[in-house]
Amino acid sequence: MKKTRGYKVALDWFQLKNHRPFPFQAKAWLHFLDGKHGLLNAPTGYGKTFALLFPTLIEFINENDNWQHQKKNGLQLLWITPLRALAKDIHRAIAEVCEEIGLPWHAGLRSGDTSTSERQKQKRQMPEILVITPESLHLLIASKKHKNFFKNLKGVVVDEWHELLGSKRGVLVELALSRLKAISNANNVTASSGNTVSGMPLRIWGISATIGNLDEAGKVLLGSDHEGSVTVRVKKKKKTTIKSILPDEIERFPWSGHLGIRLLHKVYPIIEKSNTTLLFTNTRSQSEIWFHALLDAYPDLAGVLALHHGSIDRKLRDWVELALSEGTLKAVVCTSSLDLGVDFRPVDTVIQVGSPRGVARFLQRAGRSGHSPGAVSKIYFLPTHSLELAEAAALKQAVTEQTVEHRLPHVQCFDVLVQYLCTLAVGDGFQPDDVLPEIMSTHCFQHMTYDEWEWTLAFITTGGTLDAYEEYQRVEIGEDGIWRITQRRTAMRHRLHIGTIVSDAVMQVKYLSRGYIGTIEEWFISKLKRGDKFTLAGRTLEFVKIKDMTVYVKRAKSSKKAKVPAWLGGRIPLSSYLGKTLRDVYRQAAYDEFASPEMKKLAPLFALQKERSAVPKAGETLIESIKTRDGHHLFVYPFEGRLVHEVMASLLAYRLGQMQPLTFSIAMNDYGFELLSDQPIPFSTENAKALFSTEHLFDDIQKSINAAEMARRKFRDIAVIAGLIFQGYPGQYKKNKHLQSSSALIFNVLSDYDSNNLLLKQAYQEVFDFQLEEARLRSALERITDGEILFKQPSKLTPLSFPIKVDSLRGSLSSEKLAARVKRLQLQAG
Amino acid sequence: MKLTIDGQHLEMTAERAVFWEEEKALILSDTHFGKGGHFRKAGIAVPNQVQDRDLAQLEFLVSRFQPKELIIVGDMFHSHANRELEKFAVWRSRFSSLRIILVEGNHDILPKEFYQKNKINLEQDGWQKEPFSFAHHPPEKNNGRFTFSGHLHPGVLVNGGGGRKLRLPCYWFSNNCVVLPAFSQFTGLYIIEPKPGDKIVAVVEDELIALNNF
Repeated sequence: MKKTRGYKVALDWFQLKNHRPFPFQAKAWLHFLDGKHGLLNAPTGYGKTFALLFPTLIEFINENDNWQHQKKNGLQLLWITPLRALAKDIHRAIAEVCEEIGLPWHAGLRSGDTSTSERQKQKRQMPEILVITPESLHLLIASKKHKNFFKNLKGVVVDEWHELLGSKRGVLVELALSRLKAISNANNVTASSGNTVSGMPLRIWGISATIGNLDEAGKVLLGSDHEGSVTVRVKKKKKTTIKSILPDEIERFPWSGHLGIRLLHKVYPIIEKSNTTLLFTNTRSQSEIWFHALLDAYPDLAGVLALHHGSIDRKLRDWVELALSEGTLKAVVCTSSLDLGVDFRPVDTVIQVGSPRGVARFLQRAGRSGHSPGAVSKIYFLPTHSLELAEAAALKQAVTEQTVEHRLPHVQCFDVLVQYLCTLAVGDGFQPDDVLPEIMSTHCFQHMTYDEWEWTLAFITTGGTLDAYEEYQRVEIGEDGIWRITQRRTAMRHRLHIGTIVSDAVMQVKYLSRGYIGTIEEWFISKLKRGDKFTLAGRTLEFVKIKDMTVYVKRAKSSKKAKVPAWLGGRIPLSSYLGKTLRDVYRQAAYDEFASPEMKKLAPLFALQKERSAVPKAGETLIESIKTRDGHHLFVYPFEGRLVHEVMASLLAYRLGQMQPLTFSIAMNDYGFELLSDQPIPFSTENAKALFSTEHLFDDIQKSINAAEMARRKFRDIAVIAGLIFQGYPGQYKKNKHLQSSSALIFNVLSDYDSNNLLLKQAYQEVFDFQLEEARLRSALERITDGEILFKQPSKLTPLSFPIKVDSLRGSLSSEKLAARVKRLQLQAG
Repeated sequence: MKLTIDGQHLEMTAERAVFWEEEKALILSDTHFGKGGHFRKAGIAVPNQVQDRDLAQLEFLVSRFQPKELIIVGDMFHSHANRELEKFAVWRSRFSSLRIILVEGNHDILPKEFYQKNKINLEQDGWQKEPFSFAHHPPEKNNGRFTFSGHLHPGVLVNGGGGRKLRLPCYWFSNNCVVLPAFSQFTGLYIIEPKPGDKIVAVVEDELIALNNF
């Protein structure tokens, strides 16, 4: 290969830039040109784009003597990326390379932001390289004669695959790839007579950051083509320095809390001495609070401090991102909205406020600083309460041990399958027997049964398998045996709904004069009265009125008494890796080993914990029984994250309730959970193992939690993805008024009359896999019963129990009939 | 649950309708007949049984109270005509002696001939039958007469224990007016903001519970 014309052109380009291709880049080129699929494991800022852009160019130059002449080549390379912002950046880089090596190719960009005229132009003449989002790719597949767009395609690169993998957008990618492969295969067979030069199959490559299940990531991406594929890794690891912002006196630092504002004065010097700082908070409301607090305390930051989160209007966010890359900002307070995205070169410092809850997320955020190869990422950890310092110590340990979380791929997503079949049906239509093998070749649907396939087909044509839904019209089977969506309105609505990102029930916030500010959740705005003040995008706004799903506001004169909106975003629980490392850190504390500065600082707190109760050693699970004025508390500390604790608490409450009638209130955080009862709780070291047993686990869970309620909540996304409800579009809100309904309503009627509906079953399955994390729960229970129970009866609350008692989410477990319960509670409240 | 208003005897039911003893009238609101069919026509799979059950529920009430007339305070039909309305017409023909009065709601957009054919008397907001008044939209001001209305699909948040909120359909008495819960089970809830002095009766499964704090 090294002797070929294309390779020389590539080398020349690298020389122009004063360096040589990295070994991993050359390796990726070789494998690609060899016809292999693969996965590239590289951190950002290491030149991964060039590793997978060049092989297509090299191959083309090698195969075309007149490569410098402009001609219509059709689409050669498809570059799938999860973010529009990233797409722009990559598009720019690609266009630059083509120009610099003198290849007269067009590089196109296709995302939700692309104008209609540009999209039409692309359809008439596809550019050689197209950078696209998964949703836009599905929209292309939904257009007539889509096969023509892809008939010359040589390669597909899926960027940031680790990000897509853990969501249903990953399933969109899997399905799109199955289609592209089928088109390519069909072409290679029919075109054997003539003009396909290389005869190479379509090559598929993913780019992924380091995750715990990298091998699985490759399998999911490539499906049944995984065999014989290669994984190319960047050997050099990125260096990360982690420093905690320590409170001066641990004795006066709170035992609970979640804001961290108390350490504000320690943040300012860091911002001051850094070039540009990103300050990550875990929630949007927390970021609003931090933004205001910083500005109030340090007015000189005005103008160089910005705020960035997912509910701020896209245009404002774009402005912040632009200012970031131009280096005109000193600091940005942000949320996970800046976890991903283009590289902001000026950023040299990152501050994480509160627990990042996972190692991968922490590293990802750290990686937002020090972007160039070889540069060191610098991250500060700012604890919001004392025990979080132990988490900082655990994070440091995890980073040195390089343990990173898994990303769990979605399987058997019938909502996405329903959507995909409709996508095919609005395009050229499909024949079930043709697409079935394609779909079965994906990782997501490899274990789909024939019955499930039949159900899906029936669902999009008659509504259900048992009895046909009257007048139901979606996909129709033509006399030619082709399945199509013929109704124009249905087709149009489907195109508008392609994708798996389901937005919350939000309202746009707009100035009376003009200009959007962002979005706010309906339930928050419903609590506001005219004249009430709230903050959004760092501004203090006065609520004026609601009209047509838009909240009209004006600038408030003062920021006094302004409410901070809360967004009910998914709160991420502590990952099991971080939990495990945290238990390890506690074990060291049990032996009075305080190695890190964080743990040294925490030593007095652990001494108090020991004095009042105990610190668990390896293999021990600490359980504390404490009596206070509130009643009898039982605290358990498995360190398995909030979600697992919720289920474990309900399970334990249910099993204890079987021994004698008891009503519990339940509370939990990421470290442990609490059962509270007005009567003594019959827990002892003797019955502990039985209470935590995995026997009858499934049945007991079913009886102890309200799975139907959880599934009803999960069903919202499923219903939107499968096209069962319509998300309100601004402007279109009124038109579809008679089709408005809530997913809960549809969930209820389906539960009542169509309980075999696979979408319902999927909702329950998602609850078990992602909400209850059944696998994790099971292994946690096994760990507890295999180890020792350290049962203590402290006379006072302990440093470990305090935050759970005061600062956590509460639930309850009761076996009373609903009506009886409402009556009793009404009487109590009297 | 029984109550007396302006000397008239009324019985509220957990089936979301009120029986007026003196006039032998069954008062209900927001039946949204044809809604499932409307959704299905648009490619959204909603089971057929939804309207079947609503009609069965109505039939149950009719056989229990033997009313002479139905007073529906609006949104009897969800949208344009579809086959579910033919089913309704069949149902209607089985109770041909039953008078039906519909106080037109914003959803009732069917052509006038449909109502004539199905012997439904159309009335407008503010229609009166001594001593009461009937309106689809709850009146903004107290007009001196007790009014039956609908439109809102009122629901209330109730403490379900342990900090959890239950969403329940309800009868909302406020300002000399009652807002009836939506009769159809295929309807959502609008969570009301009750004022001091209001009275709320929640539908909890098959029971009615008067709420004393909300």
